[in-house]
Amino acid sequence: MAEVRLELIEKIEGEAQVRYVYEKEQVDFAEILFLTGRGIEKILEGRDPWDALTITPRVCGICGHAHLIATVRALEECYADLKLSRKARTVRELTLAFELLQNHFKWFYLTILPLLDLEAPMRRVLEPSRILGEMIALLAGQYPHNSYAIPGGITGEITPVDLLGVRQRHRHLQKLFRRGVIDVDLELFVHCDRIEEMLKRAGDLPQAMQRILDRGWERLGRSHDRFIVFGQNDLFAAGKSIGTRLQKHLDLRYLRESAIEGSRARRVLYRGKSYETGPLARAMLLKTPLIREAHRRYGDSLFSRILARVCEIPRLLRYTEALIARIDLSEPAWIDPGPFPENAEGTGIVEAARGSLIHRLRVKEGKIASYRIVTPTQWNLGNGSRENPGIAQSALIGLHREDPAELVFKSFDVCSVCTTK
Amino acid sequence: MRLLWLSALACNGNAHALLNYPRFEEWQEDFEWLYHPLLPSTHTLAEVEEGIDGVEILLVDGTLEEGLVKNRLAYKQLFERYAVEAKYIVTVGTCATFGGIFAQGGEGRSGLHFSGERRHGFFDGFWEKTLSLPGCPVQPEVLAGTLSLLRSEEPLPLDTLHRPKYFYAHTVHDGCTRNEYFEYKIDEHRFGALEGCMFYEHGCQGTFTHGSCNKILWNGVHSKTRAGTPCMGCTEPDFPREGLWHTSKRMGIPARLPLGVPRRAYLSLAGIAKAFHIERLERPMMEDKRG
Ligand code: SF4
Ligand code: SF4
Repeated sequence: MAEVRLELIEKIEGEAQVRYVYEKEQVDFAEILFLTGRGIEKILEGRDPWDALTITPRVCGICGHAHLIATVRALEECYADLKLSRKARTVRELTLAFELLQNHFKWFYLTILPLLDLEAPMRRVLEPSRILGEMIALLAGQYPHNSYAIPGGITGEITPVDLLGVRQRHRHLQKLFRRGVIDVDLELFVHCDRIEEMLKRAGDLPQAMQRILDRGWERLGRSHDRFIVFGQNDLFAAGKSIGTRLQKHLDLRYLRESAIEGSRARRVLYRGKSYETGPLARAMLLKTPLIREAHRRYGDSLFSRILARVCEIPRLLRYTEALIARIDLSEPAWIDPGPFPENAEGTGIVEAARGSLIHRLRVKEGKIASYRIVTPTQWNLGNGSRENPGIAQSALIGLHREDPAELVFKSFDVCSVCTTK
Repeated sequence: MRLLWLSALACNGNAHALLNYPRFEEWQEDFEWLYHPLLPSTHTLAEVEEGIDGVEILLVDGTLEEGLVKNRLAYKQLFERYAVEAKYIVTVGTCATFGGIFAQGGEGRSGLHFSGERRHGFFDGFWEKTLSLPGCPVQPEVLAGTLSLLRSEEPLPLDTLHRPKYFYAHTVHDGCTRNEYFEYKIDEHRFGALEGCMFYEHGCQGTFTHGSCNKILWNGVHSKTRAGTPCMGCTEPDFPREGLWHTSKRMGIPARLPLGVPRRAYLSLAGIAKAFHIERLERPMMEDKRG
């Protein structure tokens, strides 16, 4: 006889429910339900397009900056001939990358470690989070919820004194990473392809990964082995991959959203199929050596997913260092784009901490006629059918009663508030 | 002191902002989280639904919605159970206080006591023990500071909306590095510059918004207006207004004037200030050796 159990999953930037159907001792089917919705897309309709710069960061308290950057990109696409200085572009990339870093630290320490019964001192998460907030604020005014990225650049001017503050904190952050997460040379670690090499080091990451191996969980949480990345910049490559077969070209016209019964979230598919988005997908597209190795051994499991996420930290640290060095302060921070077009359409794509984030808006007679947001969690957590389950669903199906279902679920880093925008 | 954090329709921004409080660990030693949406807590949310004891301060976060169900229980039921025994109730952020952004997204949504400026009266029985801490998000120093002062039973003067005066008596304009451009009515402002004030063209609400943003700097280092972004008035009951990036005008001057300043007074003052032509403020700040 099938047994149905409804479980509350908390501390995922809000909550979700999972309705498990157990057949004997195994999960036969699972449905993920989000009970609330806030209606941000509707709130934006009829407003001045620039208002979106203030409103969309409030979609999410942890990745609000990614929403701001997606909005400004969508707005900028509306202008026929918009100019952006390299400086403004670089500074925006930088604050976005700082948010990714902060999210990665928070997720690893606040979400993952407790589920592995590991404890680290609170300052291991508080310190980097606070410092990264300061680094964003130095450039953008405050964190969370600033609106400093505007069509044509950024609202303020940056001085060498601000950059000095950013540089010093960056150095501090690198030390904290090595002291807490894993004691490695960043440059070497990015090229490392041996799991054992990683496990040998001191730090919370090797400890966590070892714990997963000790408990025999390294193959749990496998899904469809399909990955998608829409954002493209100097760090990430866009494309999709089925297993290790890559395809670079993506076309947003193949993206479809649909409602999910009993839930306030919408699912999203690409050419009729669900895909995993996020750090594991990004690492697969980039062929990051260590993650490819984890994937070769354990597939798209929670082991690979957790490792991929934390291993973005050293990449991001090196990337942001290069960005800081590249800023030419003599360039303008803002170039007047002129009046906003009366009728236009735009799309903004961003790689947020949890994966690809897409904003699309249409402007009619100077007002927002429609605004659509597709969030990473929609890709990863959208429900499918029994025949064709979604990404997280399929990771849960087949688990035994004593398996760590919550860890499998949270290895996707669910963001409930984004999903229930 | 034991704290219970109950989120309604929220973005979790207030919870995350609190983690940036510079002395967070030391501060937290004085408190116990019975439940917090991010931090390690004594209870799970499911246990909170079943019923727990000992709530001293109840923190309400997010916009309330008629019929909102968190898991099994209606939010209203959950709130009322703990509001009765709590010594204080604190509305954390603008959503919980006035309704905020999400109140515009559906019917039957509001703050705990307010729908914008209007007291709706649903929970009037709890008004006396409620403190309002608006902000989107609320500054961590404001939330942590208020809780600590409550704990030490410090007298906490409040304004008519129950905002603690220590944090909300100033306007955001106080301490902004663009003040001189405001004072001398230099009305030209371009984004991407250190110079200029956003009051005249770009919708800055700093002069009529209550808050400490330029007194207690954000993340200890900066603020929106210092970084050239207009204040959006996020601590006020009517946040978010429409057309946030433009100053609406009446007969050529901003329609909303600094708090408490009558139109006539403003006009005479502006006339005199403009007549001075402070040359220093018309030149690029960093290029002018004369200072
Ligand atoms: S920018 Fe805003 S806060 Fe700053 S001086 Fe002008 S009005 Fe005041
Ligand atoms: S400057 Fe204005 S909009 Fe920004 S946080 Fe302060 S009160 Fe809110």
